[in-house]
Amino acid sequence: MTTTVTLAASMRGGTKDYGTGDAAVRALDGIDVDIAAAEFTAIMGPSGSGKSTLLHTLAGLDRLTAGDSWIGEQQISSLSEDKITQVRRDKIGFVFQAFNLIPSLSAKENITLPLDISGREVDPAWFDEIIGILGLADRLTHLPAELSGGQQQRVAVARALVARPELIFADEPSGNLDSRSGAELLGFMRRAVKEFGQTIAMVTHDPSAASYSDRVLFLADGRIVDEMREPTADRVLDRMKQMGH
Amino acid sequence: MFRLAVKSVKHNPKRLILSAVAVALGVALASATFTLTNALSGGFHQLFDEIYAGTDVIVEPAPTETDEDGDQFAAPDAVFTHDDLAAVRAVDGVARAEGTIQVMGAVLPKDFEPTGDLMAGGGAPSQLFNWAGEPKLDQATLVEGQGPESDGQIVLDLDSAPRLGYEIGDRVAVATDTGVTELELVGLVRFGETNSLQGATLGYMTEADAATLAGSEDFQTISVVTAEGADSEQVAEAISEVIPEDTRALTGEAKAAEQAEQLDDILQYVDIFAIAFALIALFVGSYIIVNTFRIIVTQRTREFGLLRAIGVSGRQLRTMILLEALVVAVVASTVGILLGYLGALGLSALVEALSGNIFGTVTLPLDALLWGYTLGALVTLVAALMPAIHASTISPMEALRESATESKKPLRLRNIVGGALTLLGVLAIVVGLYMDVAKPYVFVGAGAMVLVIGVTLLAAQVLVPLAYGLKAFLTRVFRVDGKLAANNIRREPRRSANTAAALMIGVMLLALVSTFTESLKSVVTDQFATTEADFFVLSTQGAIPDGALELLREQDGVDFVTEVATGNVLLDGQKRALGVIDPETADAAFDSNNEPDFDAMDGGVFIDPTIQELGVVVGDELTIEGPEATLTLPVTGLYLNEGDAALWVDLATGEELLGELDYIQAMVVLDDGIDPADAEEQLTSALAADFPLVVLSSPDQLAQFANQFIDLLLGVISAMLGAALIIAVLGVANTLLLSVTERTREIGLLRAVGVRRRSVRRMIRIESLVMAIFGTILGMILGVGLGVALVKALAEFGFSSVAIPWAWLGIYMVLAIIAGVVAAMSPARRAAKLDILQAIAFDG
Repeated sequence: MTTTVTLAASMRGGTKDYGTGDAAVRALDGIDVDIAAAEFTAIMGPSGSGKSTLLHTLAGLDRLTAGDSWIGEQQISSLSEDKITQVRRDKIGFVFQAFNLIPSLSAKENITLPLDISGREVDPAWFDEIIGILGLADRLTHLPAELSGGQQQRVAVARALVARPELIFADEPSGNLDSRSGAELLGFMRRAVKEFGQTIAMVTHDPSAASYSDRVLFLADGRIVDEMREPTADRVLDRMKQMGH
Repeated sequence: MFRLAVKSVKHNPKRLILSAVAVALGVALASATFTLTNALSGGFHQLFDEIYAGTDVIVEPAPTETDEDGDQFAAPDAVFTHDDLAAVRAVDGVARAEGTIQVMGAVLPKDFEPTGDLMAGGGAPSQLFNWAGEPKLDQATLVEGQGPESDGQIVLDLDSAPRLGYEIGDRVAVATDTGVTELELVGLVRFGETNSLQGATLGYMTEADAATLAGSEDFQTISVVTAEGADSEQVAEAISEVIPEDTRALTGEAKAAEQAEQLDDILQYVDIFAIAFALIALFVGSYIIVNTFRIIVTQRTREFGLLRAIGVSGRQLRTMILLEALVVAVVASTVGILLGYLGALGLSALVEALSGNIFGTVTLPLDALLWGYTLGALVTLVAALMPAIHASTISPMEALRESATESKKPLRLRNIVGGALTLLGVLAIVVGLYMDVAKPYVFVGAGAMVLVIGVTLLAAQVLVPLAYGLKAFLTRVFRVDGKLAANNIRREPRRSANTAAALMIGVMLLALVSTFTESLKSVVTDQFATTEADFFVLSTQGAIPDGALELLREQDGVDFVTEVATGNVLLDGQKRALGVIDPETADAAFDSNNEPDFDAMDGGVFIDPTIQELGVVVGDELTIEGPEATLTLPVTGLYLNEGDAALWVDLATGEELLGELDYIQAMVVLDDGIDPADAEEQLTSALAADFPLVVLSSPDQLAQFANQFIDLLLGVISAMLGAALIIAVLGVANTLLLSVTERTREIGLLRAVGVRRRSVRRMIRIESLVMAIFGTILGMILGVGLGVALVKALAEFGFSSVAIPWAWLGIYMVLAIIAGVVAAMSPARRAAKLDILQAIAFDG
């Protein structure tokens, strides 16, 4: 391990309110977060703890009410919508829980979509390597509707990886999968971090999913309440139980 | 982005089919008309080319500004004497020159019976000339028998002779101004290369016979063949030096081009007419496109959210949807253009089978392509713009939502804009009707358009309470099916309103046109009901001969005959229609709207509202320039109807201005106590012998004939609006189909809890009927309202009363109900067929 940690993303004093007046809900309450580069970070917490909101605001999908956030060196909380879109396009990859793929495009076209949008060339060697690892070689011409749930999520991971983003955000990527497919997918994600130095930040409520990460952040009521390095499923489960879950 | 757009269209083309059909139908209308007018123009170009093919130089009267527009077959005045012909022959470079005498008359069919039928002898006119015996000058070649070598002989073209029932050796009856003459058919000729006469009859006789029948030995034109090696243009210039003033010499080529150009000018109006109807159809179609794209955008909200999340900008999304619209437009326009072309081919084949070949080669003209693609692309893109803008505002967060839901936007903005436009439209109509403005019909017309858009927007607001109101009723009658249908309509007020509005526009135009024509009919009927005349005298071809009028005057029991002629004159350099009447008798024969009566004319001129608007008042003097003379006349009265003739003078003045008068109409008033039925028989048989083309009809018959013509007009316009109506019905089906897809889960749930297939079908059908009937009623209210407004605005054109076409409204309502049921058929079947388990699992 190196002594100086490069940050892929960070947030200072992040506050997010939904609604106004009496109906106002504070989802993030002055939160400070650092996502270290080349690390697999898991964000955990009970429903309503603000973990999804944290992911969305970190990724520039949603705006903070107060506070600042950065992608690498780039401060994004004050950028215009167009600029944020550009940051997402060039620096961030996404894997959502479901509906990751454009139904009218084949698997291959879905994977290269971020590059096509920004007009960049596909690196064929890199593409082949990802496809090989994810076992998608014989599925490339299929439409999403013709793929299983696990295959669809692997296509989504391939899409996130192919553009070599600085950071991949994953929102319950294995949430809709059976346990074997889920384990496979998380294994691939961990390999991407270990072998290619990819940074991944993942929201999950599943302790066994969190166990694939290097570091777990625990959220409750819009604040970070704890942190765990080198987690195992049992330790995470214990911690969650303490939080009254 | 383009690839994604194309893929997306290809991925799910079904939902775009009806939008494409709507665009294709509108485009087809324009394409078919362009193809037909182009073919028609081609046919006439060929005709003109052949007419002037052999003639190097034409000598003819110079066109004046008072010439009738567009009458290609009228014989010009005979202005060239035999001396003029001799002078032309003496010009250097002239190899041969012949004078042409055209006889105004008609070759009667062999079995002709005067019937009083206004259509008898109608159709394409007869063209009768003197025979030069030189194919280049006659433009006709003898193919059988001999030429008309001695007086009393005639040749006809090879198609017309058998059509009229004549064989060589028969006596051919030719009706002219002076009576019926019989000539012996001695030969058949072929016009040009292919005898393409567009249905006209061509005949030749000797010069002496032609001069007798035409009533003058002078020539109307002189055709010249130039000597070998002579330049036609130079010869034409040389001839110009020796011919009388106000005549001209020009090359045959130039003449053909000139005539073709005149014809093309007329055909251009046909094209504009067709484009107007294509635009109406496409306007209605645009409602479907708006609905389709709005639904597609809603269905694909998550897809768009995902694209936004991975870095597609809002602008790119908008472009992508517009590209999708463009792909639809190009495909649909191509289909529409081809459809129109095929339609035109079929129609021209039909016309050819029925009435001979009047078309040239039917090819797809460039105009059809240009207009087709432009109209198609423009309408689709404009219609898809709002949904595209909506899509570009989708937040990336939408990708993360569980299912696609449309956020409910309030109708407030829509209502404000709709209300403002409605008020503006009504205001413009009121201004047009009740304020003293220059061109009231412009205000009424523009107001109507704004009103339609306003009401379309407001319809959403009207539909919601309507659905509420109907809910109780529908629930009572149809129980739970009715309740669900009412809820569905209310749930998407915009979509339901747009669907109903598309139908509304079609029905509105129909109701407007039928209100207008019904009022026109009542005006016509009133006019003929108030006339004192017992008979109207009309000619089925050309003017009423003087002889016929004399004959009628001499008959026993005829009190008097009063005649009407028309012509064109110049007033301050501007062309005006001149009406010529007999002031002594006119008042007694018909109840015209003038102040004072015509018998106060006193050699002066009556002026209509258009001249009054120039500031001319009774007592002023007007200088009127006619072809024969320029006269300064006192204004002695006002003619109060607009749209007839601008200026009215008596017979003597008319003759001074115009020369020999062309009587278009005359009225016969019988002595008191004479039975019109007896008189009709007597007068008809008197006319039959010498003037078979002059027809006598009673005011009732004439009113009936005019009304038939108006009904025909209504029929033609309704047929043209048919495309718009079909599109509107498709729109209802389209909306229902898409909403069934959208509600797959919900319908599956209904089926799962025990709702029967029949009930699902009935639910969809009720929705369809409510939208169809709602649109129809709105359309009728608007259409009749606007029709009444229009009739009132046109009061000075003689529209005195408003008639509401109740019978038509009843028919439209029945048709709307049928349309509602038909439109629901396919969506209802699809909804009922849904597999319950699949429907519930369907990924919305």
